[in-house]
Amino acid sequence: MTTALARGVLPMLLSAAIATPAVAGEVTVWSWFIQSTMEKSIAAFEEKHPGVTVNYTYYNYSPEYITALKAAAASGSLPDVIGLQPGSLTQQYREQLEPLNDRAAATWGADWADKVFPVNKKQMLMGNPAGDENYYIVPQESQVLCIWYNRKIFEQLGLTVPATYDDLKAAAAKLTSAGYIPMFQGAADGWQNENVFLMIANQFEPGIVEKAQYGEAPWSSPALVEAMGAWKGLFDDGVFQEGALGAHAYPTGAQLFAQGRVGMMALGSWWMQESKFPPPLSEFVQDMAGFDFFQLPPLKAGNPASPPVGGIDIGYGLTKNGADNPDAWTFLAELTNGVGLQQALNDLNDLPAFDGHAPQGDISEHVQQLSARFMEALPKAENQRFASPAVAEALDNALAGVAAGDLEVAAALASVQAATDKALGR
Amino acid sequence: MSTLVQPTAGTAPATRFRPAAVRGRPSHYAFVLPAVLLFVLFIAYPILWVMGQSLYAESPQTGRSFVGLANYLAAFQDRTFWLVLRNMLLWGLITIPVQMLIGGLLAYAIERHTKRLRGFYRTMFFLPVVTSVSVVSLVWVQIYAPYYGIAQEYLRHLGITISSSLIGDSTFAIYALIVVNIWQWTGFSMLLYIAGIANLSEEVLDAAKIDGAAGWRLATDVVVPMLAPATKSLLLLGVIGTLQTFPIVHLMTGGGPNHASEVFGTAIFKQSFILGDTGMGATLSVIVLVIALALTLVQIVLLGTRFAAVRA
Repeated sequence: MTTALARGVLPMLLSAAIATPAVAGEVTVWSWFIQSTMEKSIAAFEEKHPGVTVNYTYYNYSPEYITALKAAAASGSLPDVIGLQPGSLTQQYREQLEPLNDRAAATWGADWADKVFPVNKKQMLMGNPAGDENYYIVPQESQVLCIWYNRKIFEQLGLTVPATYDDLKAAAAKLTSAGYIPMFQGAADGWQNENVFLMIANQFEPGIVEKAQYGEAPWSSPALVEAMGAWKGLFDDGVFQEGALGAHAYPTGAQLFAQGRVGMMALGSWWMQESKFPPPLSEFVQDMAGFDFFQLPPLKAGNPASPPVGGIDIGYGLTKNGADNPDAWTFLAELTNGVGLQQALNDLNDLPAFDGHAPQGDISEHVQQLSARFMEALPKAENQRFASPAVAEALDNALAGVAAGDLEVAAALASVQAATDKALGR
Repeated sequence: MSTLVQPTAGTAPATRFRPAAVRGRPSHYAFVLPAVLLFVLFIAYPILWVMGQSLYAESPQTGRSFVGLANYLAAFQDRTFWLVLRNMLLWGLITIPVQMLIGGLLAYAIERHTKRLRGFYRTMFFLPVVTSVSVVSLVWVQIYAPYYGIAQEYLRHLGITISSSLIGDSTFAIYALIVVNIWQWTGFSMLLYIAGIANLSEEVLDAAKIDGAAGWRLATDVVVPMLAPATKSLLLLGVIGTLQTFPIVHLMTGGGPNHASEVFGTAIFKQSFILGDTGMGATLSVIVLVIALALTLVQIVLLGTRFAAVRA
């Protein structure tokens, strides 16, 4: 009876009290997407579609956004359009989301999915039950991971882009002795640790993490064991700053990096957006004049440098509540592959998810070159995302445990294997 | 039982003598209906709902299924659960007495030994309580940061270099967070003790002084017992606050590294909202509820009568 009440009566009461009734010509949107950029996208959309108003609600991602989504889903009061990450977040709300295949084909043509970069297309289906080929998320932006470096500091210290691990260690040592933070790692954030580990693991065997998360290779594979050892080396060899395990990438690391107190930092293509933030901007951030990027050099002699790793930065889903509102899909389409997207690209928020777009407007030649290099890498990118949040969480804990010296590599990887087996129902 | 709660003959509440006809009139129940409805809707129903959820497992792959008490068994077999329990125990055992002690000493010093700047000191020590937890967390992350942190900037002048982060060390992370919690909430303990000290009977204090009590003796034998109601309130609030701990841990360490600073709040949040396992999140919530209930009953049984007797 309790369950019946929980699933029936109370949600109905709550949704009646909370949900905004559908109003003709109005679209409701929730996301963690930066508000100033979203407002530009909405303005462009409303100009193109007079008579339609978009009400956007911005949330911080964690804990506000994900708790708001959960509560709204339970009470049946989700807005028309919601921001999503591929994989676990999308899968959590799959029951409340509309399949978008037919709408997308009607708007963009039957071959629309071929215009989505391959890694994004793979992530759009990530976590779907076997046989479910529906797309519940349309990506808006992509990202490519990389190591950004302060080229002014490098120039001042006579450093060049590291080509080997010895170069990287030497650069870190020189930066440290000059009073700079060598490579800032916000190792208190699981996502930044995952990103660096993916860069490393793909050096040893491209696609190995992808195979391991789907049970096609064991987490005890030699490539992953070596990658985990190399990860620990970044802490032990002074490449990362002292105390990295207690540091956060945002806001601490990003602020220090922007201020010119950090030599290198593992981020991604989204770092370009700093140059579009409201002034005052530091001399390094202005037009990205102080920054350039490289892929992590091989941590083991004989290996290649990290291949590009990336995928969907953010995407959007159409909820069941928004399914009957034709303006909701129109907005979602413009936001992901139309006038709304263009505004986001002009703000250098990140890379497009669909081929055929580029930032326009007041953008320096240096930034244009950076953007072009990322776009060149994007079609070749390895997958950055995890289908199961439990596997990602287990990997986060394993990485932190190994880095702290609390866990041996084998034990750490065994815990990830256990989480993977459980997630796969083995 | 305390004489305070014993009704005196002839002064018992008149309601006890209401005629049965009046007492049972259905319309009288309407007066309590709004309160009962609010209680049922916002307290009883959510508790029952969470209890119901704890009997189900849910995953995007397998959907929702009834699992009985399997979530409880899984929780008790999980190493992280016992780590969380240990952390909560440390949190309560350290923060509650330390906050009381420092808060009490501050209150006594401010109320008894300051005059002109009393308001200033009260405000300064209470300031952390009204400061946003987000701000407090950001500042303390910077304080703890080695190499480039706030504390390091000062210690550099003494030739000291902090070479590791307390919140990044699995052994010390929980203690580092406890320090932040004490820093933020000691002002609240101080405020309650200030209220208690302000209400101390001057006659009793004067009588104690005439009897020769002064200084430490006056404080421990007279003032402390007379502040028992404030102490009891702080104990109750401290236990509740401990079980509700979330924002400081979430913002500073996220429960890491590798669960080292995990508390019930962050564990429930992760299970429910990050991992999407609502059943396990609900299970942990029910366990917290049971612990809270048990601790409250223990306090009422052990401390309730004792403090009532002291008051009498």
